[in-house]
Amino acid sequence: MTAIAAAADTRPLERPHRRITAVSAALTILIVAVAVVAAFPLAWMVLTSLKTPQETMHVPPVWLPASPNLEAYSKVSDVVSIGRSFFNSAVIALVTTVAIIITSLMAGYAFAKYQFRYRELLFALLLSTMFLPPIVTLIPLYRIVGYLELTGSLWGVVVPNLANAFGIFLMRQFIRGVPDELIEAARVDGASELRVLFQIVAPSVLPAIAALTLFAFVYHWNSYLWPLTVLQGNADQYPIVISLSRLLSYNRGAMNTGLVMAGATLAVLPPVVLFVILQRFFVDSVISSGVKG
Amino acid sequence: MQRRQTQSAVAMLAPATGLITVFVFVPMLLTLWLAFQSWSTQTGFETARFIGVQNFIDIFSNSSVGRDFKAALLNTLIYTVLSVVLILPLSVAFGLLVHQKLAPGGIVLRTVLFSTYMVPMIAVALVFSKLYSPTEGPLNQVLGWIGVPPQTWLSSPQTALTSIVILNVWQQVGYFTVLAVAGLTQIPDSLYEAAKIDGANPLQRFWSITLPLLGNTLLFSAVIAIINSVQVFEPVALITQGGPVNATNVLTYFIRRVGIERAQGGLGSAMAVTLMLSLVVAIAALFALARSREAKSA
Repeated sequence: MTAIAAAADTRPLERPHRRITAVSAALTILIVAVAVVAAFPLAWMVLTSLKTPQETMHVPPVWLPASPNLEAYSKVSDVVSIGRSFFNSAVIALVTTVAIIITSLMAGYAFAKYQFRYRELLFALLLSTMFLPPIVTLIPLYRIVGYLELTGSLWGVVVPNLANAFGIFLMRQFIRGVPDELIEAARVDGASELRVLFQIVAPSVLPAIAALTLFAFVYHWNSYLWPLTVLQGNADQYPIVISLSRLLSYNRGAMNTGLVMAGATLAVLPPVVLFVILQRFFVDSVISSGVKG
Repeated sequence: MQRRQTQSAVAMLAPATGLITVFVFVPMLLTLWLAFQSWSTQTGFETARFIGVQNFIDIFSNSSVGRDFKAALLNTLIYTVLSVVLILPLSVAFGLLVHQKLAPGGIVLRTVLFSTYMVPMIAVALVFSKLYSPTEGPLNQVLGWIGVPPQTWLSSPQTALTSIVILNVWQQVGYFTVLAVAGLTQIPDSLYEAAKIDGANPLQRFWSITLPLLGNTLLFSAVIAIINSVQVFEPVALITQGGPVNATNVLTYFIRRVGIERAQGGLGSAMAVTLMLSLVVAIAALFALARSREAKSA
């Protein structure tokens, strides 16, 4: 506890030298320990996917596969159509992400740069939906999508998610910082409002767009409740996260652990890789949405 | 000019506002309305029949559905409280580790912690179901090394819910750590300098400067953590199916089961409204608590 409290100090200058080394050694150990515990489940997942079925069933558990092999990965496609699931997940995540960016840029621009009646009220109303757990609207939403005859299709998964309050909020925060002179200059040159938005405003809020891309892509790649509800057992529309649950029930109790872990590893890759590429923007936007509000 | 702006504003706002209206506001109002109707999810809204507060009486009665609902409400409450109580202190501790400048590795730690937040909950649930496995799982093995007897984890009613809390904390804590770091960077160094001159030790500085000035961050974190916690679904749907003996029956799972799978849309909506009201009350109480604290310290 003291080591952590000491960590709040960013200026160790006037301390005796030996104490600093002791404190930083303790902190280093703590950092490594926390990182190891945090990384352990994912490391276990990858390691297990490389084990033989016998190794995954061994008691006590085997930590490192004796001869790592990719057999489990090739078996995944025997149980579920993995290519199709990846394609479905990609369609869901990409279509929603692109749409969310466009709708959020437009609405965020209006809230940031236009004067109109009920602006603050409308913004507050939209913002309140950010705090609504999806289960609260699930039942009627399921019926509404039924009316639109989208039940059982990828469009049913996608269409209710083409705009969201978080995206509008994030864009408004960042577009506020774009100088009005820049926008006025483009207007004087005769640019339409859509042109101003997409050619002048959007390029100057690229970090926010990058962050929103990551948020939206990861959220919709990972989402489970809504696709499960709306697809209703239509297996060739399943995204990867639903196909994963079918891996678990395949050959239940027997040697399916390696298989499940291989599938999980594949499903985890796209969001985590995207995160590693875009994490700088992600962290900035969490900070600006969380604290500066 | 003003008129042109209004026209442009309407055009710019139409797509997002229209979509959110149709797919969030309208369903929200329908949920409120359906809570007072007898309605099967398989049929159109026109078949709904007004029955007053009967749905609410049913879900709090001692019938089978009533008992299951009350269990789900209680389980969700326990799950939420445990999650928040674990996530907030951990996020501050990890935030300090990321933020400090005495030892290297803060940014690496942040990356590791935050990357778990990117992992689909379904994958987290699958991996933890194997980690928790009483015989082939590594967790009981590690506990054995330090002399702790094997735990039952997901397989016993006493430990199943807590096991899901742990999995949730593991997945979410990185996000809250980033929020905590953001709060920490806003605290001016000069405050620590002044306290140091006054002879305050690191622990005193933490209690009298760091923690009070993180107040708003922690309040925001608590609200988000509560809202995230009531959404727990994947580990329950995939692994425990609410069991053993109702121990992990939580609201999102149970509302979906009643409202979609059993098609009792009215009953499910009454549960959803109860969840929403409980959330509003909980968050209002949290804000009241924060305000009274502020008033006391001022």
